[in-house]
Amino acid sequence: MARVDYAIAVDTGGTFTDVTLANLVSGELWQVKMPTTPDDQSRGFADGVRRVLEKAGISASVVNGVFHGTTVATNAILERKGARLGMLTTAGCRHVLHIGRQNVPKDAHMLTWVKPEQLVLPRWIMEVTERLSPDGGVVRDLDEEECRRALRKLGKAKIEALVICFLHAYANSDHERRAGALAAAELSGVPVSSSHVVLPVFREYERMMATTVNAYVQPKISNYLQHLEQRLSDLGVSAPLRIMKSNGGMYSAREATLLPIHTVLSGPAAGVIGAVLVGKAAGQTNVISIDVGGTSADICLSNRGEPAINSESEIGGMPFTVPMLGVHTIGAGGGSIAHIAANGSLLVGPQSAGAEPGPACYGRGGREPTVTDAHLVMGRIPAEIAAGEVRLDPALAARAIEEYVACPLGLSLVEAAAGIVEILDNNMAAAIRAVSVERGYDPREFALVVGGGAGALHGCRLGELLGIPQIIVPAAAGLLSTLGLLSTDLKIDYVQTNVQRIMDCDPAKLSAGYEKLKAKATKWLYSERIPPDDRRLVLAADMRYANQGYEISVLLSESPIDDSLLPELVKRFHAEHEKLYDWSAPELSVELVGLRVSAYGRLPKLVLSKLGVVEPSAGTPSGSRPVYMGRVCGVVSTPVYYYANLRPGWVTTGPAVIEQRFSTVVILPRHKATVDAFGNILIEVPR
Amino acid sequence: MSENVKVDPITLEIIRGALQSCAREMDSVIERTAMSAFIREKKDYFSGITDRDARMLFTMHDRAGPGMIEAIFEQYPIDTMRPGDVYWLNDCYQTKGAISHSPDMCFAVPVFVEGGIVAFSLCFGHYWDIGGARPGTLSPSNTDVFQEGIVVPPVRIIDQGKLNADLYKTVMRNSRFPDLFEGDTRAMMAASKLGQARLLELFDRFGKSTVEQAFAELLERSERAVVQSISRRIRPGRYTFSDWVDNDCVSDKPVRIQLDAEFTKDGVTLIDCTSSDDQVRGPINALLHPDIARMVFSSVLAWQDDSVMQNEGAWRPVGAVRLRSGSIFQPVRPAALGLRAHVMYRFVNSVLGLVAQASDGQTPAGSSDNVILMFRSLDATTGKYFLCTDGLGSGQGARPFADGTDAVYPLRGQKNHPIEFMEIEFPLRIERYAVHEDSGGPGCYRGGTGVLRDFRVLAEEVTVATRMNGLKFQMCWGVKGGLAGRSGGFVVNPGLPTERKVPGFADEIKLRRDDVLRAITTGGGGYGDALDRDLRAVQADVLDGYVSVDGARADYGVVLISESLDIDLAATERERATQRTQRAELPLFDRGKGFAELEKGRV
Repeated sequence: MARVDYAIAVDTGGTFTDVTLANLVSGELWQVKMPTTPDDQSRGFADGVRRVLEKAGISASVVNGVFHGTTVATNAILERKGARLGMLTTAGCRHVLHIGRQNVPKDAHMLTWVKPEQLVLPRWIMEVTERLSPDGGVVRDLDEEECRRALRKLGKAKIEALVICFLHAYANSDHERRAGALAAAELSGVPVSSSHVVLPVFREYERMMATTVNAYVQPKISNYLQHLEQRLSDLGVSAPLRIMKSNGGMYSAREATLLPIHTVLSGPAAGVIGAVLVGKAAGQTNVISIDVGGTSADICLSNRGEPAINSESEIGGMPFTVPMLGVHTIGAGGGSIAHIAANGSLLVGPQSAGAEPGPACYGRGGREPTVTDAHLVMGRIPAEIAAGEVRLDPALAARAIEEYVACPLGLSLVEAAAGIVEILDNNMAAAIRAVSVERGYDPREFALVVGGGAGALHGCRLGELLGIPQIIVPAAAGLLSTLGLLSTDLKIDYVQTNVQRIMDCDPAKLSAGYEKLKAKATKWLYSERIPPDDRRLVLAADMRYANQGYEISVLLSESPIDDSLLPELVKRFHAEHEKLYDWSAPELSVELVGLRVSAYGRLPKLVLSKLGVVEPSAGTPSGSRPVYMGRVCGVVSTPVYYYANLRPGWVTTGPAVIEQRFSTVVILPRHKATVDAFGNILIEVPR
Repeated sequence: MSENVKVDPITLEIIRGALQSCAREMDSVIERTAMSAFIREKKDYFSGITDRDARMLFTMHDRAGPGMIEAIFEQYPIDTMRPGDVYWLNDCYQTKGAISHSPDMCFAVPVFVEGGIVAFSLCFGHYWDIGGARPGTLSPSNTDVFQEGIVVPPVRIIDQGKLNADLYKTVMRNSRFPDLFEGDTRAMMAASKLGQARLLELFDRFGKSTVEQAFAELLERSERAVVQSISRRIRPGRYTFSDWVDNDCVSDKPVRIQLDAEFTKDGVTLIDCTSSDDQVRGPINALLHPDIARMVFSSVLAWQDDSVMQNEGAWRPVGAVRLRSGSIFQPVRPAALGLRAHVMYRFVNSVLGLVAQASDGQTPAGSSDNVILMFRSLDATTGKYFLCTDGLGSGQGARPFADGTDAVYPLRGQKNHPIEFMEIEFPLRIERYAVHEDSGGPGCYRGGTGVLRDFRVLAEEVTVATRMNGLKFQMCWGVKGGLAGRSGGFVVNPGLPTERKVPGFADEIKLRRDDVLRAITTGGGGYGDALDRDLRAVQADVLDGYVSVDGARADYGVVLISESLDIDLAATERERATQRTQRAELPLFDRGKGFAELEKGRV
């Protein structure tokens, strides 16, 4: 008898909490969408879980996994609402965080830029006597008495979390460990983040920043996860709670409590993994996903089913050097405001009307025109959205666009509205190019998965602008993230800094380095109770030409590490560099900068079930309305279909509009749309 | 003809966005693949796009762009250029200063549409070493341009797709670091070709006439925006500002620059640089291309409007530039140019000073030059050089709305070397890296603080070259009652019997194992009356180590109780009242110590 596996996925976004219960074997799904409860997100989480169990008529006790995508850490950072911090650092380094990399960002204005406030002020950063050399040798031993005095001072200041970051701790963790032990004694109950645990790689500012962020969000996340576990237990769910990491893998709630920094991209990562799953169902492993919400669009490229990974990102003006999915976020969404800059140019975003007051057509006091107002004027969205919960006022939308865009630029109302959307589409296309063309990928070889409430409004035009042949609209907006949560593995990355010319590398030492990382990884998989058959380790080497400042991660093959490995790595590095940047130079020497081991623990995964047999049908539209369909056609009477009435195999050629419960799909003229066996809408973009 | 039909505003915006992302993509290739630390860490590179007539259409750079393509035209008239050509040059004198020192190697690619040139994509990067008298090419002790590396006049390095390998090898052979030379060149070529590809896509999408019309309109738009900024903020009149560089690096004689400018209600009719000193023997001569002077004026005049796109239109409102042959701004070949940045920083700050006078002080206070240390040694057994160039941050001038930025490099984007990177790569240990306490010019808004960095030598011997201006005077002036930022300096073995000072501009300073070199950089100028500064802000500065307890009292009249560092309100009130009665009326500029003496000494 097959074991029935039920799993619950909860994705908490800014507006909605999406909950999906899945029978992983049959592929059966039950879904609920709840408003997010910002004051205590665990409440919306628990309500959603209860509702979905009721809907499915399933007892809480049969659920054997709970998976969660959260924005608690991200919000704490963006809103600067984290813990009161203190820090111990090497003598002479008190201002390292404040000085940063000593740079004004390249796209900022030198004379007007203001440095963002640090998460911990220098007054709470205590210098202690200790010093290591780059190879981990002890130049000066840790002064434990000085440490204790500093800790007591921080204790008096009632810090809520402690950061320990010593120079070269990536090469020798002894001093940080000893200081940690002293902290446990002097400041009992205060969580400690140590740099050799959070990010054991060289470059002190980036490591200190990562460790600081970890400590900053730690009490909040830890508190939140405790609440979740309590609420789950109250509901009778005893299955382990796992959290989506920024790198697209899962980890346990316990580990998330220790290393919460890995949750900063939890929500968007879930969406990317979901897009990969939906793409695969449609036979596409090369997908670019774009999730368009109210204020921003998250874009990520997945090549052969593997989402891109960034080792350098930025959140709230601060650098993040922990590995995360390469999600490129731009300020482009339904709430993006269109305005005319001082020099007369029409700009769309990044300012957003947000949820309050929202677009002008919401009638809640927003006066400036937004992208949603433009869509309404163009007839692309109906006057009732979000399953009838929100009524829109076209007259308010028209007035805003007239006043702020059409009149000043001498355009007609529809031209102005179409112009706003066209500029946004071009901004999004530029961002898609940034993750594809600029990374050596041709978007024409990818399918575009459009998610979020507003993604399906833009898919066809993005396809045209980028030459992307196929657009995939998932069966339900909001589903994407929860699907992602149900279809990923446990994942952790172990990295070790090791800068040396590759031809000077000793294969035996290299092998030993990898063995050490592999041992760590295996220990972790064991602690997560992953059976040996479900464990997988992927080895990679971070490489660059000597003297370059950026590395490329090159995967190692399965074969043992011996003399043949190095030339093979070098060969692959040249090829990868050529692909990325259009040049390679075999005569130049190559450096190995870091060893990397990614550990995967396989989890039971959702298999999407087919809704039914694909039978070609045309279906009758539920009505029609005038919709702006591009420069050539202008406004045309357009058939409107309700998604709920469409069956697998349904097909039509644009112009057409399909209304889903929480989003609208615009099918431009000559674009051909089909509903596939899984209920996803596949759109062919004409050449 | 359709030539003068306006491009619709939506298309115009999309073309503007395309130019911007094209330049951004070029930058990204350069940053990620170039090898010289100057380029990849210190972001000392340029990329840009010009139209067929060499008019700058877009660049992210503040003070480079115009003039390079014109210099190529002089050797290769436009009708002799062919698709697939790449041009190469670094000749300062032939480009009339468009390239301002030889390490900046420029590559340019013509873009052909329908058989004719429609645009150019170009970039340059500051190479690590192109030969010359010393490793790293630049040195304070150079006295002619021939010591500053090999000079490449405009040449066609790639002729219709075919590399002139003989020429390339010959130039590269002159570098002490040929691998870096090779990597940088590959990066520059890849970037300029990428720009070409993006421009081709743009023309393909919108058609030649639309794109060219859009180019023209984007130039006009910037012109209008700058005129608007001027008419809103500038009081017409003739203004003068002067500034100094401590010396020319090879003598002790200070060098003075003076700008006289005529502002009208919608432009600048004259920039006169002729009263500046004569050219000097050392390498600080700044061969100033007139269009770069205009570019700097335009960006300072519109400093509060960051929507202005940097292009040729933006500097149309700025008129004639008068230069005097044989002067510091128009030296005669073969004057050395390598360290022209110091005179250029004074030029930019002087423009700020002019605009401050014309706008009742509605500008940031003065900021510092860049500060650079070079550590070199040669391993005689292997013949390998080690060369570490460390750029140090300094304080920026306070603004009418905010404190000056603490501890940043004065060119945006440029990053420091992390301590751990330095210690892995070089025989040095960084024992302290902190802000320079009390260095920010006091003011209602405080000037940014400088930094302090201690380097301990771990090799037998290291040779050091230094570059820091402002040891003879306080370089970063205060505005509207704000005071000047405090100067820095270099000192070896501070606090030990072997302590000694090191000049601001010098080379061949020998350090032995275990010596410590301390570098301290200047703070930026303050803005507004320091006695009006918020008490809590002063207290916070003390708690965080930017201002000392004594500094709080002397500079801000704020009395803190020892130990607790609480504010003593009564004592503070008394202190501020006393200070107010004892001082003279606050001038528009506070030039700090040393400036008046330098000016006096000149007569």
